[in-house]
Amino acid sequence: MLKISKVSRRFGSKTAVDDINIEIPAGQMVGIIGRSGAGKSTLLRMINRLIDVSDGTIEFEGKAVSSLKGQALRDWQRDCAMIFQQFNLVPRLDVITNVMLGRLNHRNTLLSLLRIFSEDEQLMALKALERLDIAQTATQWAQTLSGGQQQRVAIARALMQEPKILLADEPIASLDPRNAQIVMDALAEINEQQGITVITNLHTLDTARTYCERIIGMSQGRVVFDGTPDQLTTEVARELYGADGLAEAFSEAMTSTTLEAAKPRQKKKKHMAIVPGTAFAEASLPN
Amino acid sequence: MTTLEQTGLSQAGQVVHKHYRSLLRTRRLYTLGSLGLLLAILVGALLFAEASNSGKFIERLPYFFDFFIHFRPDEPMEVVRAMFDLPSPYADGSFKYDYEVGRVYLFGEFYIPEYFYQLLVTINVAFLSTLIGVVVAFPLAFLAAANATRLAPLRFAVRRVLELFRAFPEIVIAGMLLAILSLGPIAAIAAIAIHTIGALGKMFYEVVENADTRPDEGLRAVGGNWFERVRFGYVPQVMPNFVSYFLLRTEINVRASTIIGAVGGGGIGEVFRLSIGRDHAAKTIAIIILLLVTIIAIDWLSGVLRQRLVGDAAFRFGA
Repeated sequence: MLKISKVSRRFGSKTAVDDINIEIPAGQMVGIIGRSGAGKSTLLRMINRLIDVSDGTIEFEGKAVSSLKGQALRDWQRDCAMIFQQFNLVPRLDVITNVMLGRLNHRNTLLSLLRIFSEDEQLMALKALERLDIAQTATQWAQTLSGGQQQRVAIARALMQEPKILLADEPIASLDPRNAQIVMDALAEINEQQGITVITNLHTLDTARTYCERIIGMSQGRVVFDGTPDQLTTEVARELYGADGLAEAFSEAMTSTTLEAAKPRQKKKKHMAIVPGTAFAEASLPN
Repeated sequence: MTTLEQTGLSQAGQVVHKHYRSLLRTRRLYTLGSLGLLLAILVGALLFAEASNSGKFIERLPYFFDFFIHFRPDEPMEVVRAMFDLPSPYADGSFKYDYEVGRVYLFGEFYIPEYFYQLLVTINVAFLSTLIGVVVAFPLAFLAAANATRLAPLRFAVRRVLELFRAFPEIVIAGMLLAILSLGPIAAIAAIAIHTIGALGKMFYEVVENADTRPDEGLRAVGGNWFERVRFGYVPQVMPNFVSYFLLRTEINVRASTIIGAVGGGGIGEVFRLSIGRDHAAKTIAIIILLLVTIIAIDWLSGVLRQRLVGDAAFRFGA
């Protein structure tokens, strides 16, 4: 169980996260939604301790993780895997090594620095990659992969950590709808099969409704909604996103916040249902 | 060979694993080979150095501190007097105590002490030559970079020119220029600038080659010409590293200009050579202090400058 009590975070005079109280039982799949700047990323980054809390405590299974230091902190970060919007892989390193880097906290530093990984770890990495359907890319540089493939590599790396919690900070915001679906399916499957708690920041209500059993809505650093997808009415959504932002919030096509690859705007989920399989032939087949 | 049952991998997965392991073997082989080669070269070089040494290293070691024991000013205040050209109570008409002679009067009674003035000469040489070097190396770097310039013969020519420029140490170029430009700071500037073009040009084009080519691709697709692509596709990316190398070169060139000064290029190097040669301890120590302060100041200044130019984002940790 993850318990967030009275947590605030300030950057200078600006309060990004303001007095948040949340309890998340083990095994839940939680979506955090809200406009950009609502404090979603800051909250996740505080849980993983990429940044520190200004006030309050974060506890996991009774242990105050918000005040850990040194090896204890790194152990917590191993238990609390994180994936990012821009994947944050090592671009000029092959995929399998990227994945094996997920084991860093489990192993001898010297061996890691010499890039010596055991047979078991190689197999474990390949199995993780195979599970995500990208084992063929194992010996390529990570930077040669498409966005969707890179995010799956990032998930494989997270799995290698054998985490208890998986945090995902806008995992699909840089992806086209098809890859977004693959990535979200993968997260949901990990949650169901291994019982790993998944907490994911999402831009859109649709995705959160489809995949999450619990939705937390944030606005201006505060929690303004916490409940099941059914309880998330249009009125609540309007409060979260404002009248202008509502259309954006519901539209899957607007998911992307970056202008990375060519992405036709009409690629909506609904559109996909009309011509299954044909419209989205794999663009870059691994060699 | 592990079987399917043991690994839990599919047929395709096992093929990938096999491929990975063969790549790994090759890489390790190369790594070990290179390490062995490096070790052999190191041992060979050390043996050669030992053989070509005159062999007095150990015998002379006990006298190592003699120099520092005998090389002392009459009193600590003498160093201050030497530094600021104040009259010395020890004055006996010799060069050793003629501190006031070097004063450079600007107006009325206001003067710049000799060593500060000479330091200025040296720093001026360093800055000017670095600036010239950067201005010339900057465009050449893009012509020499394989990702920015497709024309192989042009690249080849530019690279050879850069090599020629940096092949000779500043001091050798200064010697060659002596006949044309005579002794003094102008020859020093020309010499250091030429070497800087060669050295910085190489650094710069390697930075350009390490840059991401996607922005350039985007600008090519827009229909931008070569200059526009370089200006917007590469320059913003490479600027931080260019600045780093530029500032490092400034530091190196202060030293180079001091050394050239010592052999006739003027500036602090020249007075330093004279004072240490004539056994003038107070003067020598004053100059050493000034040089040390200068290097520290340049290092600090370049840090500030770089932060300004590169942007604060590069210096933030975490968040």
